[in-house]
Amino acid sequence: MPYWYYDKKDLQNTPSFRDGISNETENRYRKEGARFIIDTGSKMDLGYNTVATGVVYFHRFYMFHSFRTFPRYITACCCLFLAGKVEETPKKCKDIIKVAKSLLTEQKFASFGEDPKEEVMTLERILLQTIKFDLQVEHPYGYLLKYAKCLKGDKAKLQKMVQMAWTFVNDSLCTTLCLQWEPEVIAVALMFLAGKLSKFEVVDWNGRVPKHNAWWDMFVEDITMELLEDICHQVLDLYSPQPQSSGADSPPLNTPKTPKNEKKPPSVTPPASVSPVAPIPSKPAITPIKNGADVKVEPPKMEPIRYQSYPAYPGIPPPYPPVYSAPPPSIPPPPRLAITGPPPMVYSEPPPGPPARFPPVNVPPPNYFPPLPGRGPPPPGPPPRPYYPPP
Amino acid sequence: MSAASSSQSPPAIASISDVSALFQNAKKYEELNVIGTGAYGTVYKARDLHNGGQIVAMKKVKVALTEDGIPLSTLREIALLRQLEAYRHENIVRLLDVCHSGQSVERDHQLVLFLVFEHVEQDLESYLKRAPGPLSENRIRSMSYDILSGIDFLHSHRIVHRDLKPHNLLVTSNGRVKLADFGLAKTYDTDMKLTSVVVTLWYRPPEVLLGVSYNTAVDVWSCGCVLAQLHTRKPLLPGSSDSDQLHCIFRLIGRPPRSEWPENISIVADSFPDYQPQDLGEVIPRIHPHALDMIKGMLVFDPAKRLTAWDCLKHPYFTDEPL
Ligand SMILES: Nc1ncnc2c1ncn2[C@@H]1O[C@H](COP(=O)(O)OP(=O)(O)O)[C@@H](O)[C@H]1O
Ligand SMILES: [Mg+2]
Repeated sequence: MPYWYYDKKDLQNTPSFRDGISNETENRYRKEGARFIIDTGSKMDLGYNTVATGVVYFHRFYMFHSFRTFPRYITACCCLFLAGKVEETPKKCKDIIKVAKSLLTEQKFASFGEDPKEEVMTLERILLQTIKFDLQVEHPYGYLLKYAKCLKGDKAKLQKMVQMAWTFVNDSLCTTLCLQWEPEVIAVALMFLAGKLSKFEVVDWNGRVPKHNAWWDMFVEDITMELLEDICHQVLDLYSPQPQSSGADSPPLNTPKTPKNEKKPPSVTPPASVSPVAPIPSKPAITPIKNGADVKVEPPKMEPIRYQSYPAYPGIPPPYPPVYSAPPPSIPPPPRLAITGPPPMVYSEPPPGPPARFPPVNVPPPNYFPPLPGRGPPPPGPPPRPYYPPP
Repeated sequence: MSAASSSQSPPAIASISDVSALFQNAKKYEELNVIGTGAYGTVYKARDLHNGGQIVAMKKVKVALTEDGIPLSTLREIALLRQLEAYRHENIVRLLDVCHSGQSVERDHQLVLFLVFEHVEQDLESYLKRAPGPLSENRIRSMSYDILSGIDFLHSHRIVHRDLKPHNLLVTSNGRVKLADFGLAKTYDTDMKLTSVVVTLWYRPPEVLLGVSYNTAVDVWSCGCVLAQLHTRKPLLPGSSDSDQLHCIFRLIGRPPRSEWPENISIVADSFPDYQPQDLGEVIPRIHPHALDMIKGMLVFDPAKRLTAWDCLKHPYFTDEPL
């Protein structure tokens, strides 16, 4: 079975990188592709689950193919198209293309070729083969809501925190976090971030036991502060102004550069350098102008400055379309319908717990912390086999 | 390919149309021989060239492409099969890989899907045929438990097998049973059926034969027929047509009372003689009394009154000390 998590080294040595595209450029392509899926999906009233699934397909796809071979916007369309079917919110291919066309410049749309629909159809099969038909994807949203239900404290503040975390989860789609960590971990980290920024300190929660140091210990075992911060910074980095490289807008095909020109040594800019307390001095334009006071009071300043400057980020139009911006913390995500035989199934057994994660198959496993609780072979299931041993 | 893209940088997008080049999987499996031909696909024994030549079972299923590509129902079914696989249930055949043929059959708007399963020694049909004599009490009990565990697992994921029968139950070299051939009902429905293949009716529950809507209880009926067959190594209800199958059923369990006869169906209860229930203990001589009680509970006309797979797993047949 496929395994979809990578360590940072793998994320730098991608097919695109080997094809002469720098890590920065690739990250920008990923961001633009993800953003485009979000925008297209929102415009078509697709739900957050479908959109997020499409984005995850997109990120996975480019762990096997180069942006030079497959232009990002048509791949993005195809990912959204496939996600629509898998999440049972199908949209007609031609309608997706129509919306895509309206969102793209003529030059970018040119990468769809002369018969865009046929291209997407062909690409669908390549996409399926690439993601190995591993179509069902989980997202942090559900965990976010589940975890929030356990937290005690001021309702309004909690609500605000969840709202903010929800936005971070949306934005995290523009990073490669879904290729690094399980949705449970991302949910914890971004709630942690939102808690810091909205000054909602979680002091008590349902299900607390003495061995828990923090609320998330209840959901994810052995998560370190270092990891939480690393994840938060990967999201916060989205909001910091990025140096616009020349030819920024051109899709890879149109860049006049040859692969060689673009090739750089693996640019190691992991946010690892970031420590919780110190704002990063090396990053260019942090403008602590907006809310200085806020910045100083909070002890473990999780870079609130950057958060304040977030509307400035050019790539992300901040007032998200309604579908996206309004987290419905009270409304649970749409139920995933399982396939059944004909008419309504009546089965009273509670569905078992979460499935075990796939063991590594295709990719060397990243350096992981120990398994999440509740992973392992799931439900208690049927009683142990009775007295007779297997023949 | 579009002039726009091909005129610019050399290899680039032009390769999208060259799908086959991207499908190394053509060389991933080497077909050895056919091991099964069903109504919907052919199963081959094959060698997994990327995995040290491991022997696998590869099922080829033709999917009709629609105006909008691969049908939603097929994608949903495969997604679910893939998701189930994460549990690695020991009574479900392992699904190792899913891939497709690329574009070769594109012209007739078909896509050939390959579902790659672990290869299991034989199916229950051949196991029973080859058995030199009656199976031991313990073997029967163990196999029954395996089958019910697999069914319970599917049901807990809201999957109805719909076609439980010895051909779709695989027996490992250790005598463990695994369920196969489920989860693609809607994919199969898309008119790809080979009409020449006769589908067996022997394990069909009355509600299906009568054409009323059905649920997980269908699998319990079929399982009841299979469990009886483990004891006798003969099919319990070998009907020769839809109507003969109903006659067989009612001869065994009696014609149901009018109160239980489904409403709004064209077949009336009176079209069957007033069969009186037979004693299952006479049909299956020397059966363990607990086993008899459980199978009786599975072969109940009214689906709502049938035991569930979970009920069966907790039946004294499995939980009591052996006699
Ligand atoms: N994993 C497997 N290992 C060994 N034999 C298998 C396996 N899967 C299927 N078979 C054999 O192939 C036959 C047909 O496979 P099945 O999946 O039931 O397809 P169909 O839909 O055509 O009935 C089975 O009855 C069984 O004999
Ligand atoms: Mg079969």
